[in-house]
Amino acid sequence: MQAQIMEKGYADALVIGGGIAGLQAALDIADQGYKVVIVEREASIGGRMISLSKVFPTMDCASCITTPKMSAAAHHENIEIMTFTEIDSIVAGADGHVVSVTRKPTYVNAEKCIGCRLCEYACDSELPDVFEQGLGATRAISVAFTNAIPQKAVLLADYCLSCGLCLRACPTDAIEFDQRPRQERITAGSVIVATGFQLNSLTVKPQYAAAQNANVISPLTLERLLAPHGPYGRVLRPSDGKIPDSVAFVLCAGSRDQTIGVPYCSRVCCMYSIKQAMLLAGSLPMADITIYYMDIRAFGKGYEQFYQMAKAMGIHFVRGKVARVDAAPHDDLLVHVEMTEEPVDCVRRQKHDLVVLSQGMIPQWNPAGVSPVHIGEDGFVATPDTADPCATNVPGIFVAGAAAGPKDIVDTIADAGAAAMLAGRYLADRAGKSRTPPSAAGRSIRLEMAV
Amino acid sequence: MAGQFNPDLHEDLRRFGARDLDMCMNCGTCTSICPMSEDAGGGFPRRVIRLVQTGRQKRLEASLDPWLCYYCGDCTLNCPRDANPAEVMMASRRYLTARYDFTGLASLFYRSVWAELAAIGLVGLLVTGLFVFLHGPVVLNHVALNTFAPVKWVERGDWIMAAILSFFLLAGAARMAWWTLGGPAMRRISPAIYLRQVPAFFVQLFSQNRWRRCGTHRSVVRWMKHLLLVSGYLSMLTLVLILLRWFQTDHVYPFYYPQRLWGYYATAALLYPTGDFIVSRFRRKEPIHMFSEASDWIFLIMLFLTALTGILVNVFRVNGFPLATYVVYIIHLSIAVPMLVVEVPFSKWSHIMYRPLSIYLAGVKQAAAEGKLLAVRDAEPVAG
Repeated sequence: MQAQIMEKGYADALVIGGGIAGLQAALDIADQGYKVVIVEREASIGGRMISLSKVFPTMDCASCITTPKMSAAAHHENIEIMTFTEIDSIVAGADGHVVSVTRKPTYVNAEKCIGCRLCEYACDSELPDVFEQGLGATRAISVAFTNAIPQKAVLLADYCLSCGLCLRACPTDAIEFDQRPRQERITAGSVIVATGFQLNSLTVKPQYAAAQNANVISPLTLERLLAPHGPYGRVLRPSDGKIPDSVAFVLCAGSRDQTIGVPYCSRVCCMYSIKQAMLLAGSLPMADITIYYMDIRAFGKGYEQFYQMAKAMGIHFVRGKVARVDAAPHDDLLVHVEMTEEPVDCVRRQKHDLVVLSQGMIPQWNPAGVSPVHIGEDGFVATPDTADPCATNVPGIFVAGAAAGPKDIVDTIADAGAAAMLAGRYLADRAGKSRTPPSAAGRSIRLEMAV
Repeated sequence: MAGQFNPDLHEDLRRFGARDLDMCMNCGTCTSICPMSEDAGGGFPRRVIRLVQTGRQKRLEASLDPWLCYYCGDCTLNCPRDANPAEVMMASRRYLTARYDFTGLASLFYRSVWAELAAIGLVGLLVTGLFVFLHGPVVLNHVALNTFAPVKWVERGDWIMAAILSFFLLAGAARMAWWTLGGPAMRRISPAIYLRQVPAFFVQLFSQNRWRRCGTHRSVVRWMKHLLLVSGYLSMLTLVLILLRWFQTDHVYPFYYPQRLWGYYATAALLYPTGDFIVSRFRRKEPIHMFSEASDWIFLIMLFLTALTGILVNVFRVNGFPLATYVVYIIHLSIAVPMLVVEVPFSKWSHIMYRPLSIYLAGVKQAAAEGKLLAVRDAEPVAG
């Protein structure tokens, strides 16, 4: 990672979140010559997208798109990345937004660590691998995942046995058990909220019995099963490692549902389920794959063709909302559904080996108590002006990607570009009105823009 | 086809209580969660909602589905749109009750609470008036109810009322059967099929045992309470219609005498469930009692008051308060008679006929369809 970009704790733009939205926004701002700092909560940038297998509708490898962006940000002369860092508060100051952050201790000196992973190999304490959705194991000290950026080890104190094996294994003496959380303050000309989404709990609807059945899985788990570098290197179902013969996708399993307070559509489930079904058809050619849907929302460029292609490939599309999933013998599952497009006697109990629930997208970050940014009824960052979809209620704070509402990757990247554009214009206006920001680089571009 | 569609059906059902109907997007969650849907031949209750949404009035009238639902509320609890399918089924039952009734009174009472209350008031006043002007000698030194209201006359009144009510109820039943069995097609079904299903009617009438299969929880308790209520109601009906001469006596028999024991049982079996249902409707916790229309309240409260005044008559009679006995007796009949006259043929109580009849007709329909005597109209999918 590059050296300090900020001067005296000032950055032109501070991007919260190092996922695809944050990376794209940061790159677009930094390319205009502004100094940008990315604040990422996790040990690596890359966000959700880096854990996906492929992306619809092009079937491009997700890593192949994300990794260059991660790398570009990490090596950009105008970007500084702070990983393992939480936002404590954002308040308006004379020179911009004053952002207080906490750098969580990694117990590894990032300057010294060379990412050789000897500590990880030496460590004796194992825990479920969050990146692999708990399907694999990782160690208490490890690099977050293969293509993580930065390639620096992080020690999770909760799982550390303090045995000192890593300390002895490290060739550069980078392990520092005495690290403490460090508060820092950054003044930022503008802020981009790119905090993305999370999925609501797999158990939010007890009717789907995910708590009792290991074979009722999250779509993110299936992404890992399908990824070439995933936990098993092939698609096996979690409970017994059987190669699934029959896979069901239950759409709208966590959205468009008043009973769980997510009345909106999560926008991506139809398409990623179709994508996953097609990938499954590739890796399990003999398997029956069924998608239970209420309506297929294939709204984007090339999406409808993608859907038609999946149908042509022999994926079963069944119109009907699944009401319940019950356990069957041998770890199988019974899906209760009304086949609404078929004639009489159409309530079915359909048996499947593996059930994938399309969980709903809910916001990852709640700005309450941290910043004056408003959220909407759905919990996502509010964008009061429909003609200005990246502007929040606070001047100078912009929102990009799924932080403002469910979005797919294509829309997120376009959104991030728009937010970057707004931030650039805001900074240029400010420079014209008040004083020259401490960072002078890219000033000529800025002046041109201001004109 | 002209006449096949009623674009206002949706609005009509709304007036019968189906307020959230337009939220439904026909996803079928209700059907796949419903424990009765397989019995009912699929598509239940979504199909009913779809019929209403698409204005298929004739198809709705020909459907038995609403009567096969016992309102466990699983569909409403699981509905992703808060469309409240269980209440749509309830509203459909109210609507069908109104449609089966050829006089139009049921429709009026369901849509206007004031009309229903006015009718009850009117009949109540009539009964009070009859007693005020035509009562027998008022004996005040001891309770002589049979002198004040000779059992012979009361009994005659009972029978006249029963005859009138039965006429309206049977007329409704006939319309129900005609519509649901496809009108003239009824004649093609062999009498043997009709006869073979008769036991099912009575089994349902007395036991409602289908109800026990309904619902993931609570329904069995609800069924038991309802069964208790039915036993109380049928006891009262027997005592009042058939055994009135034995039941309404001036002589006070000992406590253990069957006349008194049976009366007490019937009263308790009416008071406890109705009281319980009223409380439950107030609390709005159980799905079946979350939504209450005026007709539901009127039915329960009248039933409760009938039982309450009935037991008061007995209390005053047994303890020797002549005047109080006579007055409360008039009040008792001024509640009981309008309740029966208004509720049994024209309102909620008609389900005493339509519920078991629907099971009977469903059985006939199925048997006839198996013998290819009847086109199963509901078999068509109701799409788009």
